[in-house]
Amino acid sequence: MNRFVIAEASKCIGCRTCEIACAMAHPVGKGADMLSPQNFSPRLTIVRAGTITTPILCRQCDDAPCVRACPSGAIIYGQDSVQVLQERCVGCKTCVVACPYGAMTVVSVPAAGQAGSMLVSQKMKSEAQKCDLCSDRAEGPACIPSCPTKALHLVDKEAMAASLRKRQEQAALNLATNLQF
Amino acid sequence: MKKVITVCPYCGSGCKINLLVKDNKVVGAEGANGVTNQGELCLKGYYGWDFLNDTKLLTPRLKQPMIRRQRGGDLEAVSWDEAIEFASSRLKAIKEKYGPDSIMLTGSSRGTGNESNYVAQKFARAVIGTNNIDCCARVCHGPSVAGLMTTLGNGAMSNSICEIEDTKCILVFGYNAADSHPIVARRILKAKEKGAKIIVCDPRYIETARLADIFLPLKNGSNMALVNAFANVLIQEGLFDKEFVANYSEGFEEYKAMVAKYTPEYTAEITGLDPELVRQAIRMYAGAETATILWGMGVTQWGQAVDVVKGLSSLATITGNLGKPNVGVGPVRGQNNVQGACDMGTLPNTLPGYYYVTDAAAREKFAKAWGVASIPSEKGYGLTDVPHKILEGKIKANYVFGEDPLQTEPELSLVRKAFAELELIIVQDIFMTKTAMIADVIFPATSWGEHENVFSSADRGFQRCYKAIDPPADHNVKDDWEIHSMMARAMGYPMKYNNAQEIWDELRGLCDLYAGATYEKMADLGYVQWPCPTEDHPGTPWLYEGKKFDTPTGKALLFAAEWRAPLEKVDADYPLGLCTVREVGHYSCRSMTGNCSALQTLADEPGFVQVHPEDAKKFGIKDQSLVWVSSRRGKVITRANLNNRVNQGAVYMTYQWWIGACNELTVDHLDPISKTPEYKYCAVKVEAIADQSWAENYVQTEYSKMKADMRKAALA
Repeated sequence: MNRFVIAEASKCIGCRTCEIACAMAHPVGKGADMLSPQNFSPRLTIVRAGTITTPILCRQCDDAPCVRACPSGAIIYGQDSVQVLQERCVGCKTCVVACPYGAMTVVSVPAAGQAGSMLVSQKMKSEAQKCDLCSDRAEGPACIPSCPTKALHLVDKEAMAASLRKRQEQAALNLATNLQF
Repeated sequence: MKKVITVCPYCGSGCKINLLVKDNKVVGAEGANGVTNQGELCLKGYYGWDFLNDTKLLTPRLKQPMIRRQRGGDLEAVSWDEAIEFASSRLKAIKEKYGPDSIMLTGSSRGTGNESNYVAQKFARAVIGTNNIDCCARVCHGPSVAGLMTTLGNGAMSNSICEIEDTKCILVFGYNAADSHPIVARRILKAKEKGAKIIVCDPRYIETARLADIFLPLKNGSNMALVNAFANVLIQEGLFDKEFVANYSEGFEEYKAMVAKYTPEYTAEITGLDPELVRQAIRMYAGAETATILWGMGVTQWGQAVDVVKGLSSLATITGNLGKPNVGVGPVRGQNNVQGACDMGTLPNTLPGYYYVTDAAAREKFAKAWGVASIPSEKGYGLTDVPHKILEGKIKANYVFGEDPLQTEPELSLVRKAFAELELIIVQDIFMTKTAMIADVIFPATSWGEHENVFSSADRGFQRCYKAIDPPADHNVKDDWEIHSMMARAMGYPMKYNNAQEIWDELRGLCDLYAGATYEKMADLGYVQWPCPTEDHPGTPWLYEGKKFDTPTGKALLFAAEWRAPLEKVDADYPLGLCTVREVGHYSCRSMTGNCSALQTLADEPGFVQVHPEDAKKFGIKDQSLVWVSSRRGKVITRANLNNRVNQGAVYMTYQWWIGACNELTVDHLDPISKTPEYKYCAVKVEAIADQSWAENYVQTEYSKMKADMRKAALA
C-alpha cells in the first residue's frame, strides 16, 4: 500500500502554514534561499469550499491515473508512493487532467545551465509537481509538524490497519447496542 | 548554531519561539514549549523572522539617524548627537511656545517591549509634562479596556488562553480566531473535541463557524441588539444565576428595564436572525456548567463598542461565569504587546499599573519616584483625537514610536492633511514606513531579536524575549529606551538606564500589580500573569477570586444600552458596507511581515476585497479581477475574491495593503467613550475595470514606485 498524507478537515483552520512549509521543503530553482512568487510552488493547497476548509494533496493512489496517463513514463511508483522523474517530464499536463484530486500541477522552472556554457541559461523546464512525501527529507513530510492544530497525518499500512480495526470495533459495538430483531 | 528563546512578535497569543542563530544571523525558528503555544506555531511564528536580514522586499530597514532640515526637502543622514540635538531643541521650543500639551506621543504595541513603553510614557509625563500618549489599543481593544474597567474593574482577559479548552461552552462574538490568533483557534478546536458547545456570532461564515453548534450570522452593525436580546431571554426565561446577581452584581433593575423591549422577536429585523435560534444560543450558553465569551475587533471597532463590551461582560456576570477557572470574558488582544503597552501606561488616562492620572496619591508616588514636582492630572489626547487636535491647532508636534498612523488610522486623507500641519514629526521605528516618509526626524531602533525585553500576552502573561543577535555592523541603531533617554537628557532630565532589567525593576517597584514579576521568574519559558503582587506570588491565571471584583464597590456592574445603527448608510451610490478585517499571514501595517519572503510571497499587493457571488453578479465583478473600491473619502484598487462565506450586502478588505489601502475608505467615526473608529462599517461601491491589463500594470507600477521611493529615502 502506498503511504499518503491526509488532513482531518474538522481540524483545519485554513491558516496556510502547511502551504509555506511545503513550498520551503521544495525550493524551485537553484540557490533559492528566499521564496518569491516565481519559486513559490506548494504541492498542497488549502481549499475553502462551502463548509469545508482543508488542504488538498496527492492521495498516492495504488492504481494511479497519473501513472497510467503519463506518455513519457515520468511518473512511477517508488518509496511506497507515487514519484515523478522530472528529467522525463515533457509538461504535457495529461497527468493534471487525469488526477481526480487536482493534486498535480505542471510548472515551469529555470533549467540548469549547460556545463561549460558561457551564458547563464534562461531555458525553462517543465515539472509535474505533486506531493512526494518529502522523500528527500529525513524527518518525513514537512507539512505534518508545521500544522498548529495537528490536522495532517501520514497514513501508512500500520496506521491504516489501526484505523480499520478501530472502525470495525466501533461497528461491532453499534451492532451490539442498536440492532434488535 | 545556538537557540535563543523569544516570544513571537506578531499576535497576542504569546507563543514562545526558539530562534536558530548562526554567526549572528537568524536562520530559522522552531516552536518552544511555551505556556500558551505548547510547542506549536503558526505561519507568522515559523516564517516571520527574515525581516531581520533587511530583505527590502517591501521597505528598507532604518539604519542611521536622519533629519529633514526643511519640509519637502530630502532626509539627511546625521550622527546621533546631531539628530538628538535637532529633535530635542525643536521639541523644547514647541513646549515653551505652546505648552507641553501641544506635544503628542505614542507608545508601541509591537516588537519593542514593555520596558521601552514604560520609558516612553515616563518621557511624556516626566520630561514633556503631558498625558498625551496613547498606543494602538485605541484603534483596537480600547473599548474592551474601557468597558471592562467599568463593569469588572480590570480591562484584560479575565481567564487564561489555556483555560479555553476546558470550558464547556464558548460564545465567539465578532472574533475570527483562525485568522487573528491561529494558536488560540487551536484551543477552541480542543474545547470542541472535549465536548464544549460552540456558538459563533459573526456576519461571515468564519472558520470557527464550521465547528459551531449554533451559528448566528447577524447583520453588520447589530451587535448591541443581539447582546440585549441575549440578556432579555436570560431574564425572561429565568436562566440567570439569581444568587450571583443578588450578591455580586449591581444595577440589575436598570439592566432588566433596558433590555425589556429587546426580545429576539423585536431585534429580528435589526439582526436578521431567527428569534428561535437566538433563544437556543443563549440557552446553550446559560445552560453550560462553565462558559467563556471571546471577542475581537468585530465587537470593538464600531461607533458603539464600549456599550457592547459592557453588555457581553453583563452576560458573563448574570450567568455567574466569572471568578472561577474556565469561564470569563476574553477580549483577545491583537498586537503582540498591545496588552503590554496598556500595562505600561502608554494610555492618556492611566499610569503604569493602571493607576488613573486623576488619582492624586498615585501621581504623587510616580512624581516622587521620577524626581519631578508633579505629573499632569488631566487625561491626555487619544490617538484618534490627533488629526482633529492638529487641525484645531492644539497639537504641534507628534513623536510617533513604532507605529504607522498613515497606514493604520481611519480616513487616511484626513490624517495626511492633519500631519502636514504639524511643526515637528519624529518617527522612531525599525523600517521606513508611510509616516517615516514625511518625518522631520527619524530615529532608527533595534528590532525584536536585537534586544531583550518583556512582552505581555493577551491573557496578562509576562514573558521574556532574549536577545538573539547584535544589529548588523552597518546599522547605527539604538534600543528604543536608550533613544528616549537621550532625548530626555538633551531636554534637561537625567534619564539613564544600563539595561532593560533596570527599567523593569523600576516599574515593578511602582506597580502593585507587577511587583512580584521578576526577570528570574520569567526566565526561559517562565510565564507570570499579573496581578503578581509579591515575589513569592505565582501570578494570577484567572481574576476575581471569591467573586470580588476590582470595581469601587467590589461588585460587577450590569449594563445595557439602546442599540445605535452604524454612522454611514448604504445608498444607491455606495450600496455595500465595507468591513475591514485581517490577513492571516500579515501583521499590523505590514512593515515587518511584508519583509518576510514566505509571508510576502503567500499574500501580496493589492490584497483582496471579499465579495458575495450574488453581489459580484449584480456589479459585474469577476473573481480575481482587479476592481476599484471607493467610498465618499477615497478610492483604491484591489482584487476581487468571490466568496460565498461572506454575507450579501457587505464586502471585506484586509488592512495590511499599502496600495489596496482600505483605510483610504474608512470613516473617522468614533465610539464616544473609547474613541475607537468604526473600521467595521462604511458605505462603498465596487466597480469593475474593463482593461485588466492596464489595471495589472497600474498596480505593479504604483507598487514599484512606492518601494523605490522608500528605498531612496532610506539611503539618504
